[in-house]
Amino acid sequence: MQPGHRNLCVPILFAAVAGFFIVAPAVGHAVLLESNPALKSAVSGPDVPVKLRFNVRIDALRSRLTLIRPDGSAQPLEISKQTPADTLSAEATGLAAGAYRLRWQVLASDGHITRGEIPFTVTPS
Amino acid sequence: MARLLQVFGFLSVLFRGATLTFQSLAVGGIVFLILVVRRANQDSAEVQQACLRWIRRAAIALAGMQISYVLANSIILRQSADMSLREVAGANFVLAGAIGIVSAFTVIALTGARRSTGYADLLLPAAAIITSSVMTSHSMARLDYRAPLVVFTALHQAATAVWLGGLPYLLIAIRRAPAPDFARQLSARFSQLALVSVAVLASAGLLLSFAYVGSFKAVYGTSYGAMVATKVLLFGLLLFLGALNFQLVRRGPASSILASLKRFGEAEIGIGITVILTAASLTSLPPAADLTHDRVSGTEIFARMTPRPPRFSSPAMQELPEDVYAAQKKASEEGSVSTESFVPGQAGTRPNTPAEKAWSEYNHHWAGVIVLAIGILALLAQAAQVSWARHWPLIFLGLALFLFLRSDPEVWPLGPNGLWITLADPEVLMHRIFVLLVIALAVFEWRVQTGRVASGRARLIFPVLVAVSGALLLTHSHSLGNLKEEVLAELSHIPLAILAVTAGWSRWLELRLPSENQTRDAMARLWPLCFVLIGVVLLNYREM
Repeated sequence: MQPGHRNLCVPILFAAVAGFFIVAPAVGHAVLLESNPALKSAVSGPDVPVKLRFNVRIDALRSRLTLIRPDGSAQPLEISKQTPADTLSAEATGLAAGAYRLRWQVLASDGHITRGEIPFTVTPS
Repeated sequence: MARLLQVFGFLSVLFRGATLTFQSLAVGGIVFLILVVRRANQDSAEVQQACLRWIRRAAIALAGMQISYVLANSIILRQSADMSLREVAGANFVLAGAIGIVSAFTVIALTGARRSTGYADLLLPAAAIITSSVMTSHSMARLDYRAPLVVFTALHQAATAVWLGGLPYLLIAIRRAPAPDFARQLSARFSQLALVSVAVLASAGLLLSFAYVGSFKAVYGTSYGAMVATKVLLFGLLLFLGALNFQLVRRGPASSILASLKRFGEAEIGIGITVILTAASLTSLPPAADLTHDRVSGTEIFARMTPRPPRFSSPAMQELPEDVYAAQKKASEEGSVSTESFVPGQAGTRPNTPAEKAWSEYNHHWAGVIVLAIGILALLAQAAQVSWARHWPLIFLGLALFLFLRSDPEVWPLGPNGLWITLADPEVLMHRIFVLLVIALAVFEWRVQTGRVASGRARLIFPVLVAVSGALLLTHSHSLGNLKEEVLAELSHIPLAILAVTAGWSRWLELRLPSENQTRDAMARLWPLCFVLIGVVLLNYREM
């Protein structure tokens, strides 16, 4: 190897080392701006419209909404196709009174995945 | 499953950073070859071949990183959303990745073939590489002004690639140049190209900042804004080095300027890669303009940063939570993470207790004392030629021991969790790797300072490690929301990071610049001064 090559190897080695060490341990940036039901809110049942608005465009086809019932069982919710690009909508029906959690996972248009959970309570209508 | 997702989530970010770096090197090389080398008047066959080889290597690395990124992200999506392969295959990031991979392979094929004609055909895959990157940028997901933001992002990334990605090729070309005049001609042409690129990337960057940051308050009140400001500062540092280069090319005699030019170029490449990686970490943060609540105010920053006496008494171990992993799990189960977005596999967040904050402040303040001592002794050794002060690198061993004992009190040797957790918890693992790096740094630099090592490469280990540590600090922790404590912590880390990057590359220049270059003396004083300042900043580090 020529001396010139060796010298150049150091910055390139730096690039490789940096590439593997220097990046944030978090990816994704879809942030939930508002939701219905709201966080830790009480809503009247048995039918609860679900609407989540994010700060960016969402790939609704590859996003998921799951309702966690008071007994811990999970029920996937069907996401409506007729919503704005930044919104996920669904309908949770036949909910008895109790504590629920709405679990969401979205794929943003830029390929980043984020998820979160919204606890809420259903009160008898 | 959570651990698997955490590993893949972490890997996908690593691949993203590496992809941006290699994309800049591939595209920058192609533009350099076409606009700088081919347009030169002299015979440049050897230089062209060398550039083609490095473009090909960058494209191979780019293809590898793109494939890894798409695979890691696909696995995360399949596992976390229970999605079929067909569903995943239609996602935008897969399409973008496929364009990037095909383009990289096209570059590999085109640069492998022997040719006598021009290289204009390489511009098409180069443009496609930029397109694939823009497809996974913030601009694609915006609701308003999407089209202009996509254009500005493409211009910003392309100009960055031409300037920073082209720099290594300038060094390669200068080394291979058959005559000094030819090298100078190449440098002058690249300077012109760099000037245009800087103007384009700065203009596009400014417009993007208006859209993504939005206001001055967001610059210091959010993680995104603070990172953009850091990028601008590092950009300023690069411009300063670029200006020194420009002066050299215009005024210096051909025989002596080339050596200096190469050395400045090396430092520019290093800082440039730091800027690219900072940009990569920005893509993992929500734009400041989207986070209008709970921003940190100027008053809060002032209150946090106002100088106070350092903390030299540590809380007792009994005051810390008994098992942070159990506490973290409990916080997650209680739903404390549900108010914010988080990524698959990310652990639940839990506010630190006052004792934990005091523990951390104590750590930072003693680290400040150690680094301040290093800076002062290095200054004494450099400026006053005090011979015993040359042993200053050994103080790093004290820092390593201190970090090993106190950085993770929940883990062996102080805490109840065994050594195995070191490998399972990425944060603890990172701290342990850092301790090893500090030990390596102490040993190598002590040997250099005391004349036990004459090898050129061994002398460069210290500046590279310092610069890498600085860059690491820039991106080591981010929140997807405006968690005030995280933003404040980030604001206190940014000056440390910039000082470390400056220290690393100024030491590099001191070692590498020819002795007749007067900048060398200034660099020899600059890096110890940076260490002194790092010590002072650490001594005023606060978490409450």
